[in-house]
Amino acid sequence: MVELSEVFETYEMVSHENLDVRTITMGISLLDCIDPDLDALCAKIHDKIVRLAGRLVEVGDQLGVEFGVPVINKRVSVTPIAIVGGAACRSPADFVRIAETLDATADEIGINFIGGYSALVQKGMTPADRMLIESIPEALAKTERVCSSISLGSTRTGINMDAVRLMGDIVVRAAEATKDRDSIGCAKLVVFCNPPDDNPFMAGAFHGVTEADHVINVGVSGPGVVREALTKVRGRSFEELCETIKKTAFKVTRVGQLFAKEASKRLDTPFGIVDLSLAPTPAVGDSIADIIHEMGMEYAGAPGTTAALAILNDQVKKGGVMASSYVGGLSGAFIPVTEDSAMAEAAEIGALTLEKLEAMTCVCSVGLDMIAVPGDVPATSIAGIIADEMAIGMVNQKTTAVRIIPVIGKTVGDRVAFGGLLGDAGIMPVNRYDCADFVNRGGRIPAPIHSFKN
Amino acid sequence: MSRTIVTLVGRDHVGIIAAVCNFFAENDINILDIKQTTVQDYINMILIVDTSGYTQGFDKLNEGLERVGEKVGCIIKATHEDVFQMMHRI
Repeated sequence: MVELSEVFETYEMVSHENLDVRTITMGISLLDCIDPDLDALCAKIHDKIVRLAGRLVEVGDQLGVEFGVPVINKRVSVTPIAIVGGAACRSPADFVRIAETLDATADEIGINFIGGYSALVQKGMTPADRMLIESIPEALAKTERVCSSISLGSTRTGINMDAVRLMGDIVVRAAEATKDRDSIGCAKLVVFCNPPDDNPFMAGAFHGVTEADHVINVGVSGPGVVREALTKVRGRSFEELCETIKKTAFKVTRVGQLFAKEASKRLDTPFGIVDLSLAPTPAVGDSIADIIHEMGMEYAGAPGTTAALAILNDQVKKGGVMASSYVGGLSGAFIPVTEDSAMAEAAEIGALTLEKLEAMTCVCSVGLDMIAVPGDVPATSIAGIIADEMAIGMVNQKTTAVRIIPVIGKTVGDRVAFGGLLGDAGIMPVNRYDCADFVNRGGRIPAPIHSFKN
Repeated sequence: MSRTIVTLVGRDHVGIIAAVCNFFAENDINILDIKQTTVQDYINMILIVDTSGYTQGFDKLNEGLERVGEKVGCIIKATHEDVFQMMHRI
């Protein structure tokens, strides 16, 4: 029989440690919606999403009530739109029409984000890819729920530096297009190296072309639960530290596995994966920086932070892998700044710099995430930051990403407040030395050698 | 069978268990197991019940239990058993 202490441990995790299921994301293939006529394409996209995901929100809420763990987000990811819209779109404005269709459909079924306004250009760009990328600033300004992600590099193909340079401009233009709202457009735009096809988390979720017609992917959460568990092993050895993280990650991931299986059954949709990521929110205590602090750092960013994050990331995977039958997505620890109040605080007092964050991305699950920088940072410097991050992913055979927000009209010392899960933070300084001659060279960085690992 | 865990916490007095059991009887919910501890004045109770005869859904079940809880001055909560089995058993 279940013990009373176990029941209360679970309740405690939910009520005081912010345990939740962060997202149930339905991946939907739109390949069978392709049509040379734009109106027909938009109608087919709408109909397919409503048909498959119409009950997603209802089922997510139902599971939350029955199992006592809230499901925070219900979302949809779709096939990269550059592929879906290639036959129908003649201009960037045509792609914006698709974005508006996705936005309206998301609103109709009650989900808060829809991902997949994406292009995979790690080796080269088709005319459709380029048009979609060109349309991003307008698409993100005109829609609320659409998230965009662009793959710029991979370990197998190298880095498409033409696309990196272009994305430097696009990030700045997306910021300009939403400057009346603290450049929030950039919070819905992420660039990747080695992106996974089954990531349930926004803004980078898209439904890869190798996936089934539709699947259920679940992202768990739980930084607050891990931090609370670590308070009980203060001052103990690394062995105890690691075991504690592992056991906690196991419990958190089991909840994700249960929800994924149940959602899959009730929506008659195959179960894809559980993403083990520790995803923080701006809520007090629901923070990766707080875990790092609990591990022994005065603030996130202090010497030792990269090692602490490496431990956290690895132990979360070790505990989580056994808890789920299929693990995928990004799986690890996210280190966003604005979305994590203690991370934002560490950045504001100067403990955490952009350069330290870059080092941390070598061992975390994604990359430079939700970082607000001055609005006058040149597009070439944004491209340089993206290139650095892509190189880390390419060489280390891992997923890396950049979601950076040049806040137009603001500079170091100012604050941004996006509200909700996107949070708020101070503007972080960027290295002011120039890299234009490097990023303007054009062409590709060749794929790295896969031997002679040092 | 659909097994649900019901927990009850509150200050102990006459009639708490009677009120909860009556609610279950009225709603076709079978009690499978009860465990209870009392520390000083406080009662801590866990019940395993079979809710397969109850068709109104979990939100209604929790609302009903909340009303019983208000009457007897306790916090009562129902959660599907699977979440505890998954988290605490390999």
